[in-house]
Amino acid sequence: MVRVIVRQRLVAAALAGVLTLLAGLLYAQSTERAKQLGAGMMCMCSCAQILTACNHVGCTVSATMLQQLDQRVAANNSDDLILQSFVQEYGTKVLASPPAQGFNLLAWIIPGLAFGLGLAVVVMVIRQWRRRFELAPAGGPPISSDVLERAREQADRETEE
Amino acid sequence: MDLFGSFTLLLAFLCALYAIGGGIAAIRTRRPLLIKSARNAGFAVCVLIWLAFGSLAYLFFTDNFSISYVAEHSNRTLPVYLKFAAIWSGQEGSLLFWSFILSIYVFSVLFAYRGKHPELMPYVGVVTAGVQLFFLVLNAIVVSPFTVLGAPGAGGALDLVARADGRGLNPLLQYTEMVIHPPMLYSGYTGFTIPFAFALAALLGRYPGEKWIHLTRRWTMIAWCFQSIGVLLGAHWAYAVLGWGGYWAWDPVENASLMPWLTGTAFLHSVMMQEKRGMMRVWNVWLVFATFLLTIFGTTLTRTGLVSSVHAFAQSTIGPWFFSFLALVLVVCFAAYWRNRDYLRSDNQLDSLASRESSFLFNNLILLVACVAVLSGTLFPVLSEWATGTQISVGAPFFNKVNLPIGLFLLFLTGVGPLLAWRKTSMDSLKRNFGWPALLGLVAGGVGVALGLRNFYVTVCLILCVFVTLTILLEFYRGARVISARTRSNILSSVGQLTMRNTRRYGGYVVHFGIVLIFVGISGAAFNQDKQMDMPAGAQMDIGPYRLTHQTFDTTPATNYTSERATIAVDRDGQQLIMLYPERRFYPSNEESGTMVAIYSTVKEDLYVVYAGRSPETQAPVIHAYLNPLVKWVWLGGVVVVLGTILALVPNRQPVLALRAVTETVPAGPLPARLPMERPLERNLEREDGHG
Repeated sequence: MVRVIVRQRLVAAALAGVLTLLAGLLYAQSTERAKQLGAGMMCMCSCAQILTACNHVGCTVSATMLQQLDQRVAANNSDDLILQSFVQEYGTKVLASPPAQGFNLLAWIIPGLAFGLGLAVVVMVIRQWRRRFELAPAGGPPISSDVLERAREQADRETEE
Repeated sequence: MDLFGSFTLLLAFLCALYAIGGGIAAIRTRRPLLIKSARNAGFAVCVLIWLAFGSLAYLFFTDNFSISYVAEHSNRTLPVYLKFAAIWSGQEGSLLFWSFILSIYVFSVLFAYRGKHPELMPYVGVVTAGVQLFFLVLNAIVVSPFTVLGAPGAGGALDLVARADGRGLNPLLQYTEMVIHPPMLYSGYTGFTIPFAFALAALLGRYPGEKWIHLTRRWTMIAWCFQSIGVLLGAHWAYAVLGWGGYWAWDPVENASLMPWLTGTAFLHSVMMQEKRGMMRVWNVWLVFATFLLTIFGTTLTRTGLVSSVHAFAQSTIGPWFFSFLALVLVVCFAAYWRNRDYLRSDNQLDSLASRESSFLFNNLILLVACVAVLSGTLFPVLSEWATGTQISVGAPFFNKVNLPIGLFLLFLTGVGPLLAWRKTSMDSLKRNFGWPALLGLVAGGVGVALGLRNFYVTVCLILCVFVTLTILLEFYRGARVISARTRSNILSSVGQLTMRNTRRYGGYVVHFGIVLIFVGISGAAFNQDKQMDMPAGAQMDIGPYRLTHQTFDTTPATNYTSERATIAVDRDGQQLIMLYPERRFYPSNEESGTMVAIYSTVKEDLYVVYAGRSPETQAPVIHAYLNPLVKWVWLGGVVVVLGTILALVPNRQPVLALRAVTETVPAGPLPARLPMERPLERNLEREDGHG
C-alpha cells in the first residue's frame, strides 16, 4: 500500500515537473500578421513542422521563435525585414519554402518543367498515334474469304443470345 | 520463443533462396516436379514468416523483457490492444510486419494460381521470393527483432538479462487507430509487389497478350484500396493526435505514402487502355515498376534518416541495404525491358483527340507530374545541401502552392475523362454530357462569389466539384432511365441494377465521387480559424459560433499514464452542445508526454480543442481552439472511395432482367433465334465498359 502511494506521488511529481517544463514553451501570436509570417517559417527544433503548427511535446525552440516574431511584428518591421532577420539568425532553413533564387529556384521549376516535358511527350505521342490512324488502310489488310467466314461465324456465336 | 523466431526466419531465408534457385531451374528445364518444388518452397517461406511473426507477438503478449525489441517498445501496463501496435512500432518489428503482410499476399497468389498459367507462375514465384529474400535478410541478419538483452559475464560469456519492465510504447502511438493504420498502409505498400511481380514475370517470360493485366487487376485494386485507407488513417491520426490542427503537413513520411498511391492510380487508369485497345504496353509496365520502386523508396525514407520527419523511425544503418535493393530492382527492370522490349511493341492508334484514350494520357500526365512535384519537393533539401552546402526547408506552403493547381486539373479530368467514349466522342455527345454540368458548375461558382467567396482556388474547386458530381449523377441517371424504361422498375432499383451490371465502371464513378468529397473537405482549410488563450476556471473563449467555457481542471491516473485534463463546456446560441475533455498525458515508463485532442465534429465544421499546457505567467491552463470547416467531408470522401473500390471488385451480375422484359412480351411458342431489341440496350450499357 505504502509502495503504491509512493509510486503515485513519484508519478505526480514527475508529471508536475514535465508540465512545469512545458509551461515555459507556450506562446501564441498576438496578431494575424504574426500568424501569417509564422506559417511561412519552420520550427527549428528539427521537428520539420511549420512554426505556428509546432505542437509537439517537449519542443524547446518554437516558443522563443514565436516571441521573437511577435516582437519584430510589434516593432512594425516589414515582412521582408522580419523574414531576413530570421534567416540571419537561423539560416535559410527557417523559411518553409525554398527562396526562388539561385540553385533553389530549381525547386519551383521542376514541377512546371515536368509538366511541360510531359505535355510535350503527350502531344508527340498523340500526333504519332493520330498519324498511324490516318495512314491505316480503310479496309485493313486483305483477308481471305475463309478467314472472314470463320470470323463471322465466331461473331455470330459470341453474340448469340 | 526468441530462438524459435530467429530459427524460423533463418529457415525462411534458406527456403527463399531455394524458391529462387529452384524457380530459375524450373523455368529453364520446364520440369513439372521442379516447378512444384519451387512453389512449395514459396509456400514454406510464407508459413515460416507467419510463425516468426507469431513468436514475436507471443513475446510481446507475455511481456518477455529479455528481448531488446520488446523491452524498448512495450511495458507491463500497456493495454493489450496496444501491444499489437507495439509489435510494429519500431524498426525491427515493422520490417518483420512488412514481411508478414507480404507473405499473406504471396501465399494467396501462389495458392490461387497453383497449377494454372504454367508459363507465368514460376517467374512470379521467383520475383516474389526475391523481394521476400531482401526483407528476410533484414529480418534475420541486419535488424532482427529477436535480439536478446545481454551483459558480459564470467569468462567472456554473455549473460542474458531480463528487465523488470519495458520502456513502453511511444505516446504518439498510444492511440486506437495505430492498431489499424500500419496494417492498412503496409497492405497497400506490399500489395503493389503482386502486380510488379506479374509485370516483370510477363516481361521476362514474354507471356503473350494482356493476360497478366487481367490477372493482376483485382490485386492492384486491393493494394490501391489499402493504400488509400492507410493514407487517410494516417491523416486522421495526425489530426487527432499531433494536435497542430491539421491533417496533412506534407511531411516526408506522408509524402512517401502518397507517391505510390499517385502512380498506382495512374496505373489503374492506363491499364484500361491496354485491356481495351492493346495500347501503352511499355508505359504500363514501367508504371507498375515505378509504383513498386516508390513503395520501397517510401519505406527507405522512413527508415534511413535521409530526410527529417516527425513520423520517421530512428536513424539506422539499414540505408545502404535499401539503396542497394532499389538499385538492383531498377537494373533488373531495365535489363528485362531492354531484352524484351520488342514483346511490348503495340500498334497504338488514336482515332480522335476527344476520346477516352487521350483523356487517360492527360490523367496519367497529371498524376505523374503530381508525383514528381511531391518527390522533388521531398528530396530537394538533400539535393540543395549537396549542391550548395546550405540547408533549406521545403514545407507545406511550397507543396500547397505547387500541388493545388495540379489537384484541381486532376479533379477536372475526373469529371471529363469517364464520359468520353473510346476512340471518338462526337460534338453532340460532348454537349449532351457536359453542357448542363458545366453551366451549373459555373452558376454555383457565381453564387459563391456573390455570397462573398473570394479565394480563387476555392471558387474553382467549387465549380469543379459541382461539375464532376453532376456528370457522375447524369451518367447514373441516363443508364438507369434506360433500364427503368425496359424493366418498368423504379429509378433507384434501376440504379442498383445498372451498377451491378458493370461494377467496375460504376464503382469507379463512386470512387470519383469520393474524391470530389475529399476536395470539398480540403477546400474548407482555406477558412480555418484558431485562437489560443489562458483559461482559468470560468474563463470563456468565443470562436466562430461557439463559446467555450473552462469548467474544471483535473489530474487523473490511468493504468499506463497520468492525464492532466481540462473540462470545457461548448455552447452555441446559448444552448449547451457538448462537454469536451482535451488532455495531456504523461507516460512514466518512458517519461514522455502526448496530447489528446478533443473534437466536436459536424458536417459543417470541426471544433478542435487542444490543451496546450499551463501559462508560464499565470499557471492557468492554455487552450488552443481551432475551427476547421468541412473536415468531416475528407473522412466521408475516404469512406466513399473505399466503398467504390469494393464495389468495383465485385463481379458483374448478368443482365438477366433485360432479357426477362422481352420474354414477357413474346407470345407462347418457340422463341426467335435472336432478340434484336436487346442489342441497343446492351450496347448502351456496355459501351464504355470498365472504369475504376
